[in-house]
Amino acid sequence: MVASIVIVGGGIAGVSTAAALRSGGYDGDLTLVDAGEFPYDRPPLSKDYLAGKQELAALALQPAEWYDDQEIRLANRTTVAALRPAEAGVELSDGTVLPADRVVLATGAHAARPPIPGATSDRVHVLRTAEDADGLRKALLPGARLLVVGGGLIGAEAASTALGLGCEVTLVDPLTPPLAAAVGEETATWLHDLHAERGISVLTAGVDAFEETAGGIAARLNSEHAPRDFDAVLLGVGMRAETTLAEAAGLEVTGGIVVDAGQTTSNPAVLAVGDPTRRRVDGVLQRPAEHWEAAQHDGTRAAATILGTPQPEPTAAWFWTDRHGLHVEGVGRMADAGHTVVRGTPGDGPFSVFAIDDGRVVGAVAVDDTKAVRASRRMIDGRLAVDLDDLADSGTDLRKLLRAAKG
Amino acid sequence: MSEGIRVASLDDVEEGEGIAISKEVTGTEDDIAILRDEAGFCWALNDTCTHETASLADGWVEDGDVECPLHASKFNLKTGEVDGLPATQDTVAHRVEVRDGEIYLFPNEKPV
Ligand SMILES: Cc1cc2nc3c(=O)[nH]c(=O)nc-3n(C[C@H](O)[C@H](O)[C@H](O)COP(=O)(O)OP(=O)(O)OC[C@H]3O[C@@H](n4cnc5c(N)ncnc54)[C@H](O)[C@@H]3O)c2cc1C
Ligand code: FES
Repeated sequence: MVASIVIVGGGIAGVSTAAALRSGGYDGDLTLVDAGEFPYDRPPLSKDYLAGKQELAALALQPAEWYDDQEIRLANRTTVAALRPAEAGVELSDGTVLPADRVVLATGAHAARPPIPGATSDRVHVLRTAEDADGLRKALLPGARLLVVGGGLIGAEAASTALGLGCEVTLVDPLTPPLAAAVGEETATWLHDLHAERGISVLTAGVDAFEETAGGIAARLNSEHAPRDFDAVLLGVGMRAETTLAEAAGLEVTGGIVVDAGQTTSNPAVLAVGDPTRRRVDGVLQRPAEHWEAAQHDGTRAAATILGTPQPEPTAAWFWTDRHGLHVEGVGRMADAGHTVVRGTPGDGPFSVFAIDDGRVVGAVAVDDTKAVRASRRMIDGRLAVDLDDLADSGTDLRKLLRAAKG
Repeated sequence: MSEGIRVASLDDVEEGEGIAISKEVTGTEDDIAILRDEAGFCWALNDTCTHETASLADGWVEDGDVECPLHASKFNLKTGEVDGLPATQDTVAHRVEVRDGEIYLFPNEKPV
């Protein structure tokens, strides 16, 4: 019988695991260890929190009393130093060993800092934690020249926030358009072009080196000879899974902690959830999910595995992102689809693009049209066939279309 | 007990959809979302999601819940109880009655 569980990491994955264990009926010992002051949510860090519109307290994943109500021991400002599988426990950085019949690794990720010469300068920021956001926000004064490296999700959001704060923003990415794999080529192009329309200087380039100057930082781009001067730089070039504990414990780690469909690692007493993980399905390693809801669902699955209850129905992957006042959502798979169907007109109010394979919706991305994504998710999950002309017609009520398809 | 406020005709709200009624009409602290479930019944919740600022009237109504249009927290149509992060606070449910095809709202009265 499982009588003690330690969850390492209090991000959305760790907190969701704890919540799902309790709601699933687990009444044993439950400890959530987190290095930070309290578990908080990350998506606002590049949006309203970075803009100075929210306090950190508003980002708390759960109110303080929730942990007591749920009888979850929250060990905040505490770091797990090692797993001790042989002793069925985890060792904290002060040497204390907590007993644990099961350990759930929810250690998240770090912002990647590629080895670009000069990238260790204080003027070169990354964005993963509240401290990162605080440091970056101090640099985002009106008129400040900001270079954003990477036009993916976080880079684009931060660039848009900085523009709103009155900064002079330059965005570089070696790929045009960035995000094509996530939202499809046509929407990626439209979204990327929006930056220039709103007043950001957009360059297709990589950075070779940074050099501190008298009052700022110079960036050498691989597309031009003369360096450009900035006041601050943000590297938005992806994340690096936090796998230190897993590696030291000898778990299988290949670009992430490898887990099975129920989140179990190569050690049956250790599960892993959220950003540090990669799932192996039918012998094939999947790409890391790196989105909020995926981390939340991992927690639900891990709890079901520990409790021996049925796993939740699988559902198409979903994420949202916000830029330039637009709310963008994606569901399912947009890359490598047979063809696409567009509903609405990009640039003229809400629109959505559906990826179609064999006459069925396999993915959708929508700008300011969340119902299109909700409907698509149900079409994908139910493998429902719908009339593609009706889908493309913005006069069609997608709920009705969905209902008709369900029959 | 009051007669309630007539806020809309049933025909104004499609099944599975919602409309927001301004707080100037309802006299409440927040606008109120009138949400119609798949079976045709009407429910009322405070319109602003307790997480950020989304309007629940734009949400997806299904299986007794409305799903927030921004980050997908779900609120129970009858009780206002939240199910699922990122929102952590329940919202307020109000009583609604449909008479002769008209929707009447009883602000701050618990649904029966
Ligand atoms: C700026 C930003 C914006 C984002 N915006 C969106 C968005 O709009 N939409 C979306 O879908 N996704 C978004 N994401 C992605 C989403 O936030 C992540 O996928 C999610 O946070 C992953 O959660 P997690 O619990 O796996 O990891 P994390 O949130 O990284 O949490 C891991 C926790 O573990 C702790 N920890 C690690 N090691 C130890 C240890 N040894 N001992 C104790 N504690 C430890 C860390 O301190 C941390 O608190 C965004 C991410 C960032 C950074
Ligand atoms: S605004 Fe409703 S869940 Fe975020």
